[in-house]
Amino acid sequence: MARKVAVVAGGHSKFGKRYDATMRELCAEAYKPIYDEGITQDKIDASVLSYAASQFTGQGAGSALIADYIGLHEKPHLRVESACTTGTASLRAAWGMVAAGLYDVMLVLGVEQMNRVSSATATEYMSQAGDMRWEYPFGISFPAFYALMASKYMAEYNMSHDTLAQISVKSHHYGAQNPKAHLPKEVSFEEANNAVPICRPLNLYDCSLITDGAAAVVIAAEDRVKEFTDRPMWIRGIGAGASEMMIQDRPSLTSIPGAKRASKAAFEMAGLGPEDMNMVQVHDCFTIAELIAYEDIGIVEPGKGPEFVENKEMYHDGRMPVNIDGGLKSKGHPLGATGISMTYEIMKQMRGEAENQSRQIKDVKYGLAHNVGQSGQFVNVFIFERGF
Amino acid sequence: MAEKKELYLGYSTDKAITPFYQEFLEALDQDKLMKSVCTQCSTEFLPPRQHCQKCLSECKLEEFTEREAKLHSFVIVEFAPESLSSKAPYVVAIGEFPSGRRLTAHITNLMSMPEVGMPLKLGFEHIDDKKLSYKWLV
Repeated sequence: MARKVAVVAGGHSKFGKRYDATMRELCAEAYKPIYDEGITQDKIDASVLSYAASQFTGQGAGSALIADYIGLHEKPHLRVESACTTGTASLRAAWGMVAAGLYDVMLVLGVEQMNRVSSATATEYMSQAGDMRWEYPFGISFPAFYALMASKYMAEYNMSHDTLAQISVKSHHYGAQNPKAHLPKEVSFEEANNAVPICRPLNLYDCSLITDGAAAVVIAAEDRVKEFTDRPMWIRGIGAGASEMMIQDRPSLTSIPGAKRASKAAFEMAGLGPEDMNMVQVHDCFTIAELIAYEDIGIVEPGKGPEFVENKEMYHDGRMPVNIDGGLKSKGHPLGATGISMTYEIMKQMRGEAENQSRQIKDVKYGLAHNVGQSGQFVNVFIFERGF
Repeated sequence: MAEKKELYLGYSTDKAITPFYQEFLEALDQDKLMKSVCTQCSTEFLPPRQHCQKCLSECKLEEFTEREAKLHSFVIVEFAPESLSSKAPYVVAIGEFPSGRRLTAHITNLMSMPEVGMPLKLGFEHIDDKKLSYKWLV
């Protein structure tokens, strides 16, 4: 029987264009608040220290560098990589090791340093996560994959770009209240709807940010949790899914099959359903991705996402608060850090410690993190339960 | 034995060309699009694979003859990856043939906004003496 595992602490760097830091300094910034809570290096048995793309830094064997920089070089460590799900894949790997009894206490840290190259170069690197033989030769960038989904969704459900702009307005509304956010500013509907096109039908304000940042959590086995906190967040359900490599081969472009499978598995493991969640963190690498996530998780039926948006049900006082930290759109998307950042946000919300109380969600008992890699080739869904 | 002709698909500069892929490219150089068919279970693949996804047996290349398709989805790339930035804007489309097979390529002769469901025709393009591609035409 697997042991129960809880998140007992978390730390989060400022997200942004961090020209004052590189990967190693960002990691120290994420671990420092955890250290300050008393979880010093000697209390950590092992760590998973991950980033998605080594092209950005040119650093090989990066987990060794990170472990050394934050003083964990005498403890076992490894790196997990699965594109933008690198963070939750790291958490999944660590959960397995703790649940199985290999270790009692682990640090899970995700980081990405993306702004030492130009936006065009960053776009080039990310496009290389498409099929290099059959997709890359046609210049399909990361936003282009999601624009293919957006074109199809708009045609199939007769949706206008207005809906996507409303999602962007919401994300920036909450990002503006998050001091850790990369782009903490309000955006008007007109700005969001009429911004410069990136990959039509998606424009600048439909796209997440190229961000530097790191986030970290510590997880512990049930019999060790009380040594670290009286406010644990239990990992109640984990689901993982995958989808076809080439986007043309997906049965549908208005849903991510792996996200549906991951959500179903996570809910089954937790013995809960979408109606039980008090908040969700979804992978809004693009506004269309957030819309599709509502449907893949099961918050709304297929095709009902636009109505959910129109009724503002995804605001902090709505039926299902979504990305009340600003999401990848406004908070930013340092690839390897994103899944851990979602976990951190749910932990802070459960503790009533949203960095700006204006965006605090009331009484969060259950929270869900939905983390998607590339255009859906990887998906992890975590369900967390307040343990106090 | 004839010397291997140096060929690339689209804007790829991938030099990791296998004999199977070279055969595909040489057929494309003759304006033929090849699919692959599993020698054991007869499953077909477009674009082709050397190994069957189902039973991992070897596949052989055969000409894919469908030419008419419908636009399954599209994107107009305005901000391109660095390697294609000089080509932007360009339109990437997934076309669906009556058989249900799909193919991803550029639409190169659009005069107005594309619409999902519009008819497409498969065409071929020799970008230069080494780069060649299949493409969609409206």
